[in-house]
Amino acid sequence: MTLIAGIGFAYPWLLLGLLALPILWLLLRAVPPAPRRQAFPAVTLLLGLGDDESLSDRTPWWLLLLRMLALAAAIIGLAGPVLNPETRQTGSGPLLVVMDATWAGAEGWEETREQIALRLEEAGRAGRTVALMRLSDPQELQFRAATDWLQQLPGLNPQPWQPSADQIEQALAHFAKAAEQFETHWFSDALDYPGRDRLITALEARGAVSVFEHPGPVYALAPPAIADGALELTAERSLAGPAEELPLQARGRDPGGTLRSLARATLRFEDGESRATVRLALPSELRARITRFELSGLRSAGAVALADDGLRRREVALIASDSEDEGLALLSPLHYLRQALLPSADLLEGALSDLMPANPDVIILADVARLPPAQEEAMIEWVEAGGLLVRFAGPRLAASDTARSEEEPLMPVRLRLGGRSIGGAMSWGEPKTLAPFVEGSPFVGLVAPDEVTVTAQVVAQPDPTLAARSIATLADGTPLVTRKPLGQGQVVLFHVTANAEWSSLPLSGLFVQMLERLAVSSSTGTPEASSLEGTVWRPVSVLDGFGRALDAGTLPGVQGPALVTDPAGPALRPGLYDSGSQTLARNVLRPGDSLTAATWPSSVTVAGYSTAQERPLAGLLLGLAVGLLALDILATLLVSGQLSQLRRRTALLPLIGLLAVAAMAVTPERTSAQEAGANDPIALAAELTLAHVLTGNAEVDRIARAGLQGLSDTLFFRTSIEPSDPVGVDLERDELAFFPLLYWPVTADQRLPSPAAYDRLNAYLRSGGMILFDTRDADMAAVGATSPEARRLQQLALALDIPPLEPLPSDHVLTRTFYLLQDFPGRHPRGPLWVEAAPADAQQTEGIPFRNLNDGVTPVVIGGNDWASAWAVDANGRPLLPIGRGFAGERQRELSRRFGVNLVMHVLTGNYKSDQVHVPALLERLGQ
Amino acid sequence: MNQAAASSAPGAADLRHRSEAEASALPPLLVQAQMLAGSVLLGEHGRRRAGTGDDFWQYRPLQQGDSRRMIDHRRSARGDVQFVREREWQIAQTVHLWTDLGASMRFSSSPDLPQKIDRARLLALATSVLMLRGGERVGLTGGKLPPRSGKAQVLRLAEALSAEDEADYAPPEHRAMVPHARALFISDFLGPFDELQLALTKAADRGVRGVLLQVLDPSEESFPFSGRTRFHSITGGLVHETLKASALRDRYLDRLAERRDALETLCRAAGWRLGLHHTGDSAQSALMWLYHALERSAA
Repeated sequence: MTLIAGIGFAYPWLLLGLLALPILWLLLRAVPPAPRRQAFPAVTLLLGLGDDESLSDRTPWWLLLLRMLALAAAIIGLAGPVLNPETRQTGSGPLLVVMDATWAGAEGWEETREQIALRLEEAGRAGRTVALMRLSDPQELQFRAATDWLQQLPGLNPQPWQPSADQIEQALAHFAKAAEQFETHWFSDALDYPGRDRLITALEARGAVSVFEHPGPVYALAPPAIADGALELTAERSLAGPAEELPLQARGRDPGGTLRSLARATLRFEDGESRATVRLALPSELRARITRFELSGLRSAGAVALADDGLRRREVALIASDSEDEGLALLSPLHYLRQALLPSADLLEGALSDLMPANPDVIILADVARLPPAQEEAMIEWVEAGGLLVRFAGPRLAASDTARSEEEPLMPVRLRLGGRSIGGAMSWGEPKTLAPFVEGSPFVGLVAPDEVTVTAQVVAQPDPTLAARSIATLADGTPLVTRKPLGQGQVVLFHVTANAEWSSLPLSGLFVQMLERLAVSSSTGTPEASSLEGTVWRPVSVLDGFGRALDAGTLPGVQGPALVTDPAGPALRPGLYDSGSQTLARNVLRPGDSLTAATWPSSVTVAGYSTAQERPLAGLLLGLAVGLLALDILATLLVSGQLSQLRRRTALLPLIGLLAVAAMAVTPERTSAQEAGANDPIALAAELTLAHVLTGNAEVDRIARAGLQGLSDTLFFRTSIEPSDPVGVDLERDELAFFPLLYWPVTADQRLPSPAAYDRLNAYLRSGGMILFDTRDADMAAVGATSPEARRLQQLALALDIPPLEPLPSDHVLTRTFYLLQDFPGRHPRGPLWVEAAPADAQQTEGIPFRNLNDGVTPVVIGGNDWASAWAVDANGRPLLPIGRGFAGERQRELSRRFGVNLVMHVLTGNYKSDQVHVPALLERLGQ
Repeated sequence: MNQAAASSAPGAADLRHRSEAEASALPPLLVQAQMLAGSVLLGEHGRRRAGTGDDFWQYRPLQQGDSRRMIDHRRSARGDVQFVREREWQIAQTVHLWTDLGASMRFSSSPDLPQKIDRARLLALATSVLMLRGGERVGLTGGKLPPRSGKAQVLRLAEALSAEDEADYAPPEHRAMVPHARALFISDFLGPFDELQLALTKAADRGVRGVLLQVLDPSEESFPFSGRTRFHSITGGLVHETLKASALRDRYLDRLAERRDALETLCRAAGWRLGLHHTGDSAQSALMWLYHALERSAA
């Protein structure tokens, strides 16, 4: 591409054609223009007059100039001019495009892809072969035609990890295998990672390296932590730039099950700081609902922090035997449990009968021998529904006959009478220590310290199932902790006391870890690697590079310690993992990780993304040439005196139009005509507007519109409500917030609205809107399932938040908001009308005919009287449809209009008329 | 040019309306009777001599031969002499109009200017209105519309003038002229000269005197053309092409002056007057000129 005056030309040799312009000038001047036709009655006087000279008049200079310009524009346009041409030197030989393709570049991924596409196109033009390498997913180098890669480019996505050491080794091996020298374009995500310098060295050895860095810092969110009872969220940025603020939101499912933003906060980076922290104090109910934190507006895996059990505080009910000795706190069977659980769980204490309705996650029975039968039943039910029952032994259990002869549901094993004491004053042997936890136990990987000794315990009866059920044993093989599944839940028995009486287990850290492993308590923050030793975690959902959660599918499980300590990679994808009933989130950043901006040696050239896009001017210039030629046609007609003729005939207009269209088609400018919506929100908001739902049945819609027009007219004439013209509302498209009242004629074949439309409708109803459903069938059926319309109405209303309904009581405020009414006829005289039911406790005051009813407006009014037909007026304001017979019919129409007035008044004024203020006047009018 | 042919009745009404408007600005044109003999018919305006008429002229003593019925008894009763009451002699003049309705008149060089034929019709009818108001009898040459007086004649004239002639250059109509009448010929006089000569000779033979009014478009006077041009007559019957129109201007103007000299000579020989009017000028001035010219040629 040749550059002339800042504009590049694809075919600069064509510009030589401009040299021909002066020749053309001479030629055009020499050739006479077409004769001009001139009507002239005095031609009789001209007859016989010859020309003196043979040279005719010349074409006017301005016409020549016009033609020259047109020709010059065409020549320059054909030479392929490009504004802001890419002026880089195009190299030769193979080209390697290296991408970091990590989560850090996900935010600008589209841009990166465009830039790569530009380079690929360029390489394609230069006929270079190209290989593409993603460092986060290194593959064999394949030098192929650039167009091949261009087709694959849209399928390339960033990975949610940084290149690991393994991957860098692989990439280096692939580089080494390449046969020849190549030039490298490295699209970096501007983040440093170990091993990058080795890559640079290797690539520089093979040829020139230029680096394209996405501008701007990279942001990432560290895993949430809990500090002082509040959530602490930390964000990192790669460049410690000026102060800035990032919005943060916590997302989760609301009680209705929809995913929504549950909390928001703002992270503020101080000037020169690369870390920002914000604290979120949320109720634990809400906290437990959070599934992920996001930096709003950023689209990368790094900007997402998944929430796991660490945020969730389990509810643990602690129950000890009834006769508790209050004086001896340290001997209390619950003291150590309380201390162990308090930081990470919500403790409930009290009588079991009080705690069961609270449905705790875990119930701990400390030395409780037997439950009353009713409570036992409830307990079994609760465990079978997924509860975890943890029992501790003690003197009472040892002394009771619980589970002596046969296995009980709430006891994992049968127990021998009395238990045993080891290493006491009256016994032989030393106190026993714990055996290492075996594979298959939830405690596997935990290290039992030597100082944990057991001096007394209850002993399980030998049983075929005993080995499978014991999950911790003493050094001599006696089961210490046994467990059995029961329904979906499980029952765990510690064969020692929960206090330090029988063993030193509750005094050690192992006790806390064991409780954690049993999911009695959840760890706060990220657990230590050592506490996860021996566990395998199954991925539930994993993040892609953009931070979207994907189903984990068949991805293999991950070792517990690796989950916490290893950097993310193909084998350890950021996401949500579970093991047993515990879930653990793995985020892109580990706690304490920080982001470092990449620095490049001076030997590589670093460029940002070029912002000025290449802009081909050929279309513009060719369009200009066509336009000028169109002007030339006009000018030629003008010169030859035929313009006036053409103007008289209208043949010129289509011609000009055609040329204009052609010129517009050639120029690349696009005119975006924004389609003006029929329902202008500003106009709707400016005036009160009644609306009806478009049913798709043209006749019904027409009547509904005419009906609302009639009602609007009536309101206008009789009340201070002055509505503008009614509109039809498409539930799928239109905003409903502007309409106080929606008239919804129900047809049997109406389509059900989409979920989004239902969301809007529910929001509309919640925010004080009213829908008048009209099945229009009161002549044939009462409201119920007896007509097709009524059945359709049931289906339509199923997804709506509609409160309990009742037939309109005679003292409802709708009977007196403007007119005093008892009937609400439409085209049909007296179908029933259903409104929101009054609260059951509404009282009738002595001497007042109305109950003191609830606040607010009934959100729906359901009936079948076909009011729109009675209200409907034609364009001249005359009733559109006949109602009833004769004067009685007109009276019915009048009452129907009064109902409409009352309804709109009710929507707009609420229960105003329920106020006592008007009671005397109303009483007087009622004659009471 | 085609709207006049398309609807003659509205065109006529419009023409009449406009000519009435033009005529209302002038006093009634009194054409003095040059010839007492000949077409002596009672008109409304006096001849400043005693004769038949309605207006009082003078009292004179009764003379020998006067009928006794002629005595004005109211005047005679004041004295002994018997008087006769004489009335002013009133006669009407006959005016013949000829307006060139040929194709060459349907031309205007710019949309702002009226076509020559429009101006010619207007002037002809305005003059007729003036003369009819003065009690003259006005008609067309050629016997299609014989001269009559009265307001209704304006309508008939207007209708007759709304017609169009298909010929490129229409020859002057010289038949059926009342001897010793007045005549007004309006045309561009660009057609064959012989026909005009014949017409004027015949008119002079019958003692008809009058006025020629040449109506030209400004472009015919200035010849503002240049470049390669193909001139054609309105119907396209005559064509002249030139490579350089601007070079023709002087010679064309010479020829135009020649034609006007010839017209002048012809008029002088026949006792007529020649007027020139451009469609770019106001019709009022042309009407003024016609008024004076007809008055003078009547003297």
